[in-house]
Amino acid sequence: MNAIIESGPPFTGTKTRSRENVVSADNSPSSPLQTPLLLRQDFLGGVLVIAVAVFAFWQGADLPVGTFGGMGPGMLPKGLALLLGLLGALLVLDAVLEGGSPLDRWSIRGPLFVLGALVAFGLTIRPLGLVVAGPLAIVISACASNEVRWGETLVFGVLMTVFCIGLFKFALGLPIPLAPWAIDY
Amino acid sequence: MFDLIGHLGLGFATALSPTNLALCFLGCLVGTLIGVLPGIGPIATIAMLMPLTFKVDPTGALIMLAGIYYGAQYGGSTTAILVNIPGEATSVVTTLDGHAMARNGQAGIALGIAAIASFFAGTVATLVIAAIGAPLTKLALLFGPAEYFGLMVFGLGLAIVLARGSVLKACIMVVFGLLLSTVGQDIETGQERLTLGLVDLQDGIDFAVLAMGVFGIAEILRNLETPESRDVVRSAIGRLLPSLADLRRSFGPIVRATGIGSVLGILPGNGAVLAPFASYTLEKKLAKDPSRFGRGAIEGVAGPEAANNAGAQTAFIPLLTLGIPPNAVMALMVGAMTIHGVIPGPLVMTKSPELFWGMIASMWIGNVMLLIINLPLIGLWVRLLKVPYRLMFTIIVLFCSIGIYSINNNPADVYFTAFFGFVGYVLIKLGLEPAPMLLGFVLGRLMEEKLRQALALSEGSFMTFVERPVSAVLLLMALVVIVVAVLPAVRKGREEAFQE
Repeated sequence: MNAIIESGPPFTGTKTRSRENVVSADNSPSSPLQTPLLLRQDFLGGVLVIAVAVFAFWQGADLPVGTFGGMGPGMLPKGLALLLGLLGALLVLDAVLEGGSPLDRWSIRGPLFVLGALVAFGLTIRPLGLVVAGPLAIVISACASNEVRWGETLVFGVLMTVFCIGLFKFALGLPIPLAPWAIDY
Repeated sequence: MFDLIGHLGLGFATALSPTNLALCFLGCLVGTLIGVLPGIGPIATIAMLMPLTFKVDPTGALIMLAGIYYGAQYGGSTTAILVNIPGEATSVVTTLDGHAMARNGQAGIALGIAAIASFFAGTVATLVIAAIGAPLTKLALLFGPAEYFGLMVFGLGLAIVLARGSVLKACIMVVFGLLLSTVGQDIETGQERLTLGLVDLQDGIDFAVLAMGVFGIAEILRNLETPESRDVVRSAIGRLLPSLADLRRSFGPIVRATGIGSVLGILPGNGAVLAPFASYTLEKKLAKDPSRFGRGAIEGVAGPEAANNAGAQTAFIPLLTLGIPPNAVMALMVGAMTIHGVIPGPLVMTKSPELFWGMIASMWIGNVMLLIINLPLIGLWVRLLKVPYRLMFTIIVLFCSIGIYSINNNPADVYFTAFFGFVGYVLIKLGLEPAPMLLGFVLGRLMEEKLRQALALSEGSFMTFVERPVSAVLLLMALVVIVVAVLPAVRKGREEAFQE
């Protein structure tokens, strides 16, 4: 705590600070206020936060609030949702007035295949066992990288599955289904 | 004093049993193995490896988990030095001079001094825990709900200040975490809250699932976007043992950093994260020739590594004495302890002394193990680091899946992990840092419980928090910390401190 405060320069007044703000966000080509509102990171973030807050409040609408002396189940969820919405509104306001950083590029390939691999693992682990779920998770997630090489991935998937079976199933005795369709476990 | 020796004696008797020794060794080994993989910090490592401990008795399980934790910490430093990729926030500082040393052909010495500094800090921190654990536990028994609540608010206040980026965004993340913690059955009435009608959410969101999604999976997604530029040191690792001159130069920084780390680690709200930065800044200020820093100054490795390890270890103090996890790693420890039927808090020490002191003794043994394991195995870690990321992340995904599935043997947990991985990705893209959210989530349930108790006792009057001196002071401190962080002068300093 102290180290951080001490390492800061002495108070330089608000004038410098506002300039600092502009400079610190200069990864956009021009002034942050020229970035369209919808492409500002904080604007979208704030809107999303408000949406989450509204959703939580709506979901908890039926929960009784109670009194401070005897809080009901709804007091905190609703109170926190209100607070979250308020803070989200502040973030939107900040984005409108100050600009802030522009939005990053989003990729689809990475999230699609990595998350897809997790879902595929979840879907197959019970009915088909680790023998299928393991290589499947490796092969699907490998597609997330644009340097994927098929042969290498397949061999790696099989090897790693064997390794995991040895480690988790036999060395550690975790109850993971191996191949329920072929053998008993 | 005699108490202390007696307690440590009991601890070592427990920790030195062949089984526990083997578990400690295994924990350190696999912890380092996973922790060395780039982009995987201690949180993801522990979440992934938690199921390994399920078949072991509670004491052994905690000893192993602690070993995994230290292994992951040390593995992170190895990656920081050799590849210039910090596994987590606290090893960022090590990349500065550690990697520079490695480029100068002194990789071995950097790794060696990191191990020695960690060992020294770990030894001191173990003694600190043993010494103040018992008195603090007595103090904790005097804490009422209002004091607990005040302490946790202070912790969240610190977490907000310590987060990178704007204070407003950190506040948002804390409140979001608190909101997520209310999901599941109400503690008093058992009524379902915000479960969206899903059976799997009745018991609330599993912390390991949330942490793994937000820290493990989201991190992979982020790494996939930046084209691979791993800078594995190609030159020889060289001599591991630092020369006498190196040791003499590092001694002061190590001692100072151990002090800094031990104190900051005790603070609730992840004060430990600050320790390496503080140590680095201090050593740079004290140095005769500050320009050496960043170009491979051995003090810049020794100090932050000692601070890091001391802080990582004293962070156990609030958990073991008060039952309050000061950071996400400790929250995972809570999860693991609860699975084994141990509720962390002041009662652990009196109810199961061999668990409490055994774990503390194993911390020191774990530090010895790391020294023994890592120095000869560095060649192996280097080879592991050369596996291309296009293969490495797939095995991380598989380990995550197996680890998460095994916690409850429930495929739904894997789906939720995928969901939170996506949430984490969105948060990264929106510049919202997930660490404060995790702490809010961790403390949320306990805070709600204590808040409700305190207000029920005072019949709904908020004055109870102000009338009781301890909670009043804690809440005031929380307020001061946040107000200070928002002040323009400090805010600028804070930005610069994080940029360094």
